[in-house]
Amino acid sequence: MPCIVALIIFGIMGIFSASQRALAKEAFDCVFRRITFRPCNTGFQEKVKGKLLGKVLKRSVFMAKVLNKYYEVFSWIFFILMVGSTIWVFKGIYNFYVYGSCNGLNQSGFCAFDPSGENNKVTGIGDSSTCDITPQNEATLTLKDVDLSSFPVQNIKGEDKVVFIGCYACDYSRKAYPDILKLVEDKKANMAFAHFPAKGDTAYLAEAGYCVNKMYPDKYWDFNNYLFTADENYILNKENLNKILENFSLDVKAVNACTSSTETKTAVENQVNELKKTNLYGTPTIFINGKAFVGPKPYRVYRSAINKYIFF
Amino acid sequence: MLNTEKIRADFNILKGENGSAPIYFDSACMSLKPESVINAINDYYLHYPACAGRSSHKLGDKVTKKVKEARELIAKFINAGSENEIIFTRNTTEGVNLFANSVGLRKDDIVLISDKEHNSNLVPWLLLRDKIGIVVKIIPGNENGSFSLENLQKEIVGAKIVSVVHTSNLDGATNSIKEIVEIAHKNNALVFVDAAQSIAHQRIDVKKLDVDFLAFSGHKMMGPTGTGVFYGKYKLLEKLEPFLVGGDTVDYTTYTDYKFLPVPEKFEAGLQDYAGIIGLGEAVKYLSQFSFEDIKEHELKLNTYITLELQKIPQIKIIGPQNPAERSGIINFYIEGMDMHKFAVMLDEMANISMRTGRHCVHAWFESRKILNSARVSLYIYNTIEEAETFITNLNKIMKIIS
Repeated sequence: MPCIVALIIFGIMGIFSASQRALAKEAFDCVFRRITFRPCNTGFQEKVKGKLLGKVLKRSVFMAKVLNKYYEVFSWIFFILMVGSTIWVFKGIYNFYVYGSCNGLNQSGFCAFDPSGENNKVTGIGDSSTCDITPQNEATLTLKDVDLSSFPVQNIKGEDKVVFIGCYACDYSRKAYPDILKLVEDKKANMAFAHFPAKGDTAYLAEAGYCVNKMYPDKYWDFNNYLFTADENYILNKENLNKILENFSLDVKAVNACTSSTETKTAVENQVNELKKTNLYGTPTIFINGKAFVGPKPYRVYRSAINKYIFF
Repeated sequence: MLNTEKIRADFNILKGENGSAPIYFDSACMSLKPESVINAINDYYLHYPACAGRSSHKLGDKVTKKVKEARELIAKFINAGSENEIIFTRNTTEGVNLFANSVGLRKDDIVLISDKEHNSNLVPWLLLRDKIGIVVKIIPGNENGSFSLENLQKEIVGAKIVSVVHTSNLDGATNSIKEIVEIAHKNNALVFVDAAQSIAHQRIDVKKLDVDFLAFSGHKMMGPTGTGVFYGKYKLLEKLEPFLVGGDTVDYTTYTDYKFLPVPEKFEAGLQDYAGIIGLGEAVKYLSQFSFEDIKEHELKLNTYITLELQKIPQIKIIGPQNPAERSGIINFYIEGMDMHKFAVMLDEMANISMRTGRHCVHAWFESRKILNSARVSLYIYNTIEEAETFITNLNKIMKIIS
């Protein structure tokens, strides 16, 4: 059994070192002999056992005696643990590839490939100033019974459905937004956008967005893209809104009249209430064909979701 | 009596502090090198790294002089008739091959060897058997494993060559070369002696022993690796055909002809390992400062202690004579049913003890006796009784876990 363990370990190490490759070869020879019901005659197994026993003997004769007597049992335990941990590692790699986190979709535990947890950072709902890793249950995130009909949509005929719930002033929404646009363009996906004012006083931007979409639907997406790319402090200043509208050659007065109307305020409030039904706990929250991705994931994660590479 | 403390100071590897120095019990495979040998090699590479015997510049002259000095030292060390009887090789194995392939054996010529020969004194003969049809006969040993002069007497008639080991690397037993030579010469057979294991542990006087040919390695006598010596009586050497030929073996050549140089040059083909040869000369110089009686006494003291301790453990079987006085510095042992590789690895891990395990290049002996392998302690001038005690203490611990 130690031969199999050694073969795996030295096999991996052998990729980088010729001396380990020789040991891997020896281990392979040993494994091959064992699986063909012949004794391992390379001395490799005995060498490994001798090294272990020697180390233990230095500390305790009793422990060495136990190890020597139950060596096969320990070897099996170690082997099973190794197989388990190998499966775990491969699962982690798979998870990282398709979810952006070793621990699974939206899970914020430590991941060696993303040690700072960048792929899971969100701006928490209810916290008006900070962006952090928010370990919450994503299982409750849903689009069920959520009315998205009042939100702007592009590629309306697209087969794949993407719903981007972000916040103009949140760093992680800003990080994810270009990747989602690229995805929508590449895959011709249907995309609905919703601004959720998670950070700062940005409710007025939701109202502006609502009115621009209503009054100038052909200019809405450029306006939206601008809000995600412009300086954060600039858009957070209400006084700059009129300049922005002017820059897009919109009728500032008409838009302002729209934003201050009771109908708009009610509509935006309704939109926020609809979004809350998704049980979102932070922005960005992106639904791709119903599956929720919280935090700015690498592009490949979104693409995997569309390509249906996600098996678990 | 040897001053072990003083000797150990000459070996850099043994200067380790806080127990970091290895307990080196593998001198039968490879002896450690004193600093004087290492310095001599370095000196060549640093200060006169030129060719010997062919370049007329000062550096070349110095190399020629140093190589000649080494040859003279070695000739004196084994009491050869002249330095021209000393041929430099890479090791004992090359010496055996040189002899076997140069002595002019023909189909049906008989070569006698003992049943405890190192592969280096077995395989070259078996190859000649397969290539040209010589007959290789094994002289069976006595029941106690010693060389049987009686069996030699039985087989000697018609034999061309008796090729035997002097001291066995398997069990440390030394064969009675003088008697073997007498029997062989009475029957007109030539005698070749493999002195790889004896050269560093006992006085070898080729004249007294009257051996015709003898070979040994530098690396077992504190010299550099890749150096060795093939000795032969001058008149016999003149009759041998060179085995390797080419550069430096010839006096002159034309496109159709050549004339060999006299012995020893005609056997030393190509550019030689000058640094190694000079280092070997230095090793001989270093070794010559000790008396072989003192070396023997020292080895016997350690061997006796270890032997007596091992004999207290019933599972342990010592290979060869049970009397340590008959085993040079070697204690080769095994535990029935145990792979001794594991044993040696454990000692290495526990106490930094370096010892050899396996079949010690005497596979045929192990095969015939169905013994898996053995662990060999081989002692030399730098080993101490404290090291022997550490070895026994740790061995006893191992015995506790496997008993």
